[in-house]
Amino acid sequence: MMNLAVVLPVLAVLIGIRFAKPSMLGWVTAWWLAAWVVLDFGFAVPVPKTVVKEFMGIISLALAAYVTSDPQRWREVREPTTAFLTERKFLPLLVLVTLAIPAAVAASIYFDMTAPAQAPIFGRTVHPAPPATLTVHEVTHDMQTLDNPYRKLEASDPAAFAVHVEAGRKIYYENCFYCHGDLMQGGGMFAHALNPIPTNFQDSGTIAMLQESFLFWRVSKGGPGLPEEGGPWMSAMPAWENFLTEEEIWEVILFLYDFTEQRPRALHVASGGEGH
Amino acid sequence: MSGRRNWISGGRWALGLSALLLVGSVPVGAQVDLGTDAQRETGKRVYDKYCSQCHGDTGAGDGYAAPFLRPKPRDFTSGKYKIRSTPNGFLPTDDDIRRVIQAGIPYTAMPAFPEFSAVEVTGLIQYLKTFSSDFEDPEAYAPPLAQPAAPPYSADNVASAVEVYEQIGCARCHGVEGRGDGASAPTLVDDWGDPIRAADLSEPWTFRGGATREDIYRSISTGLNGTPMAGFESGLTPEERWKIVDFIYSLADGQTEPGYASLVTATSIEGGLELERGEEMFASAKPALLPVMGQIVQLGRAFHPGVRAVEVRAVYDESDIAFMVSWSDIQANRNGENSPHLQVEELVSTASGSESDEGGFWGEEEATEDGGDFWGEEESGDASEGGGDDFWGDDTGDAVATLDADTAEFSDAIALQFPRTLPTGIRQPYFINGDSQHPVELWYVDLGYPDAPELWEGRGSAALTVTDEAPPYVTATYKDGQWTVIFKRSRTPAQGIGFAEDTFVPLALSVWDGFNEERGSRRGLTAWYPVYVPPLETVSPVGPMVKTAGGVLLAELLLILWVRRRVAKGTDSGDLAGSAT
Repeated sequence: MMNLAVVLPVLAVLIGIRFAKPSMLGWVTAWWLAAWVVLDFGFAVPVPKTVVKEFMGIISLALAAYVTSDPQRWREVREPTTAFLTERKFLPLLVLVTLAIPAAVAASIYFDMTAPAQAPIFGRTVHPAPPATLTVHEVTHDMQTLDNPYRKLEASDPAAFAVHVEAGRKIYYENCFYCHGDLMQGGGMFAHALNPIPTNFQDSGTIAMLQESFLFWRVSKGGPGLPEEGGPWMSAMPAWENFLTEEEIWEVILFLYDFTEQRPRALHVASGGEGH
Repeated sequence: MSGRRNWISGGRWALGLSALLLVGSVPVGAQVDLGTDAQRETGKRVYDKYCSQCHGDTGAGDGYAAPFLRPKPRDFTSGKYKIRSTPNGFLPTDDDIRRVIQAGIPYTAMPAFPEFSAVEVTGLIQYLKTFSSDFEDPEAYAPPLAQPAAPPYSADNVASAVEVYEQIGCARCHGVEGRGDGASAPTLVDDWGDPIRAADLSEPWTFRGGATREDIYRSISTGLNGTPMAGFESGLTPEERWKIVDFIYSLADGQTEPGYASLVTATSIEGGLELERGEEMFASAKPALLPVMGQIVQLGRAFHPGVRAVEVRAVYDESDIAFMVSWSDIQANRNGENSPHLQVEELVSTASGSESDEGGFWGEEEATEDGGDFWGEEESGDASEGGGDDFWGDDTGDAVATLDADTAEFSDAIALQFPRTLPTGIRQPYFINGDSQHPVELWYVDLGYPDAPELWEGRGSAALTVTDEAPPYVTATYKDGQWTVIFKRSRTPAQGIGFAEDTFVPLALSVWDGFNEERGSRRGLTAWYPVYVPPLETVSPVGPMVKTAGGVLLAELLLILWVRRRVAKGTDSGDLAGSAT
């Protein structure tokens, strides 16, 4: 997402400029710089340089079109520019700028050509859309209606519910905590060797916003069961249907919610994909 | 209170006498503090949620996860705490316990719990004490050992430490080069009879008691209770201990963090890639340390892999590429057999023979006898190749290879895994043995047979086959607790992965520690890491820099001249666009 430490100050400056009423040239320059700063530094996941260049080209054209579409604006930009290029008092600065621009271009080429090569980055989808139906241990489920069979015990028979949660706890600490960790923050003893890193269940953006059926899909089918956008070749999440019964998978899901004190997203809010 | 005041006001003489009398007898700090009911209740609440799954409801170290862990969770009923500031054999201070709870124990299953409040940690400490009656015994307490400020690191110490290191027997367990490979290392057990490994002193980040020089000094002084690691408080002078500290510190060049790599960059070298050149060939290559995890993804899991990390270097020239992989290993296991395609039995740690109800653990599969046998419905005997084209695991079927159950010896082995062909897009083969649509190749060598490397093709773990293609050339050496295996192959082989210039080739490794009874599916493995092969001829940036900068400068000058001429001509006074409108 956005890097607020960069975006908010830029917004503040732009708002300030709105009230300072600078010249048209100042205004155009400020917007051009603001766009560049946001594109290059404003995103948590860095935007590739080529994309930044492409967008800056478009933005430059747009600003040029804006300025030249009105004779008044055009004059406001043109006059100070002409003065800078011709008047004697600006000469030292003009020489400096004239030399600085090619120097900057040369430096950019140098860094481009000598930068260490970067491995291709794969932006995987963390919660891809689940399939319509799911077959686990030869039983086919409709994902729209699939729900944790033990969930209703929470209200109707808390003692029986607690037994299932405890069974899930045992399963978790026999199978899951090596990666997802004791605190379910994804910091297990093997986590440092994994790419992608294990999911942090304490994060409000994970199990709290998912239905239990989604977890059942992810647990039973694991990494190999992901659609292509989820990177099925790199996730180390096992397909737990090979290790656990259906009941055990539901029990460990109960435990995930119980331990983290999160609530699963209710079934009736179902709206298909969870992609984000 | 008043007694204490008198004692102090009694003057220096009384203080000195008291100190003299107390030396060697019941220590000053021996007041027993077992906390309040409220504290212990808070502690129990925290313990039951966060600790009992490993350490057990009664603190006996027998929680759910215990059979799968090595080292095992601490048995609190013993009163033996590894990481302390007190002399060997004595109870820890509250602060010692607090430190472990808040910082964890590196490279074990004991995590850090920084989230606990001060009240919760104090409660937990008091609750832990209830598990062992030792805490009620004033005799079991001793004040912390002196922990002097660390003198500056001295390279001179390192040279003179070697003598002390050998003399007091460090090398017997930790090995001459400190890699945990001493002669006695394979036989070490803890006070519970469970196997325990001597620390690999070349990897300080794995030290249970911490990696700083102060931490190392403390661990040497106090020893680790319940383990063969003795305390050297009286056996070594402080100066001698600091010498040992500096020697250990030097083994990892002062690093306290592993600095794991995310990329392996090959280095071009001159003089031909000849295996006889050995390690020297890799002198200019940048080492990439890659973390190893246990294969806990597919059936036949490895919960406590014997190898924690492998260091990879790569060199190349016009025709060939070579990889050097090195890792610490407690001993060279050259007997026995190994193979990448064997699916071994799901095995609970056999350390103390505890098999916590394996029943429902592997679903339909029936747990077989514990003890390293390989499963499989088939007769033991020859390995059979499977033809399954999916990820394995839904059924064992005839895809599962078996090995003679009598083959009790396990050899070390290593495999470099690459995609069979360079991926064109982002899609790579499955990181464990590939998948049906995206095959991998394994450069595999059983270190029991280093002269017979093999080239395997994997289309999933149930579809691994030896190819008849020429395998890479391999040399393997084991010295002072370290395996060093060099692979060399053509960059443009007739079949299989090539290493073109300016490409990223995915690499994943599997490593088997025979001492840890690893074989087939039970192994250590890594995720995919890119290997970058830079262009042999690097284009100098000077040409493009001069050309482009010159062009820009020229354009600028032309613009300035043009504007000035127009203004000078008086076409308009500063109105460039006059002619356009």
